[in-house]
Amino acid sequence: MIQLENVTKVLSGRTILSNLSVTIEEGETLVLLGRSGTGKSVTLRHIVGLMQPDSGRVEVLGKSLTETSADQLAAVRSQVGYLFQDGALLNWLSIAENVALPLLETHHLAKSEVDQRVKNALREVELDHHGDKLPGEISGGMRKRAGLARALVSQPKIVLHDEPTSGLDPISSSIINKLVNRLKSTGITQVMVTHDMNSAFEVADRIALLHDGQIHALENVDDFRDSADPAVRQFLEGQISGPLSRGLLDGSSNDDDRNEVS
Amino acid sequence: MTGWIEALGHFLGRSAETTGYGLVLLCRTILNLPHLFTRRRMRDCLNLIFTYTLGSFTVTAVVALFTGMILALNGGDSLASLGQENLIGRIVAISMIREMGPFMTALILTASLGSGIAAEIGTMKVSEEIDALEIMSISPVKFLVLPRLIALTLVTPVMTIFAAFIGILGASIVAANNFGVTWIAFSNDALENLQLGDVQIGLIKSVVFGITIATVGSTQGLLTRGGATGVGEAARRAVVITFLLVIILGYYLSWWYLS
Repeated sequence: MIQLENVTKVLSGRTILSNLSVTIEEGETLVLLGRSGTGKSVTLRHIVGLMQPDSGRVEVLGKSLTETSADQLAAVRSQVGYLFQDGALLNWLSIAENVALPLLETHHLAKSEVDQRVKNALREVELDHHGDKLPGEISGGMRKRAGLARALVSQPKIVLHDEPTSGLDPISSSIINKLVNRLKSTGITQVMVTHDMNSAFEVADRIALLHDGQIHALENVDDFRDSADPAVRQFLEGQISGPLSRGLLDGSSNDDDRNEVS
Repeated sequence: MTGWIEALGHFLGRSAETTGYGLVLLCRTILNLPHLFTRRRMRDCLNLIFTYTLGSFTVTAVVALFTGMILALNGGDSLASLGQENLIGRIVAISMIREMGPFMTALILTASLGSGIAAEIGTMKVSEEIDALEIMSISPVKFLVLPRLIALTLVTPVMTIFAAFIGILGASIVAANNFGVTWIAFSNDALENLQLGDVQIGLIKSVVFGITIATVGSTQGLLTRGGATGVGEAARRAVVITFLLVIILGYYLSWWYLS
């Protein structure tokens, strides 16, 4: 379903991904863990074609994103939903208009069909009574759910989540986790970047730990939790010293990197 | 010394890159022009025309009124010493329509709308909204830049005509009150000496300035990096670059017209 092969990416002179390889099967939910700046979001961006690797290959739904035309990329993207950290909703459109946006701009469906799909998507994320509100009028958790509704309204085969529970209270986090699990039960392939361990254990089929630009560990939930790998233990237990404390690949960081890497 | 040369090299490289990006963006927007004729884009465009006109109406009126009055006061003072105060009408009308109207309106719209476009698109860029559009296969050029470019290209000439009219009105008040030039004498002198070419070059300038304001604002917005600081920097750059371009383009358009 999703395959990254020896992907290397250098940003502002810093190697973020170094020969990273991973395969995500159809219907699987993979959680990507790692310290800040290890390239988790960069990996997601490669999967949706927002970034191209300097070397290596990215294949999504059987199509190589590294050797594709704009039309083919659009065709792949139409099957991928992406939930951004803060929802990335357009603040001058209502929640319902935001959710309807991909349908109105690219799918050319009848208005009744669009309305029905928007209604269903909002109901799915329990926002059916908030469609008329503007993004600035609802809470952060609701904005993330609205972002998820927008990601789902095109009925994608893959959903990518970039820190969906960051900054949320435990109850809102649980609502998001429940939604991710509901998607999982429908067979949608999902990749989630998170720092929230509870969330990772609750939704993942497999968990990957990114370190030094590569997948350092990739195991199912139980094996990951019981792993004796020192890096995994350090991450799970939040120890200050250990293999993950060696810093990022080439050391230095700057403002541009902070924009691009998380 | 080496550091200074390196910094200059960086600056020139970045300026060339930004200029190239802006020109490509303008070309891509023009190529997307057929998409304007859809109900959604047309609605976006009309909303922006309404917002831009309303947002710059008052400040344009006040600045134009006082600019016209200042022109009449200074011009009238010099002409009165030669006993030629009856010529105030033609001087004010020609300068307001050919030069001051387009130039002044462009500066007002740059400060109020150009910086706003850069800040708005820049905020969308840093909050990943532009990425979200791209993932949904919605072109930011078609969705954001095209309606803004068209709206500003239409609003700028309209506001220029309005500014010229208000400026001439302000000048006529000063001419009557300070120099005893009647409204009839003022308007006769203005209309007799104003040529169609003066109006044409004023409108051409305003269209060029409108395109410049929208393109620079959008370019700076789309190139924004670095959070809130980056958004502020994008707005500042948009204003500075547009001011410079308006002055330079204004000079060359005047030179072209007069030669």
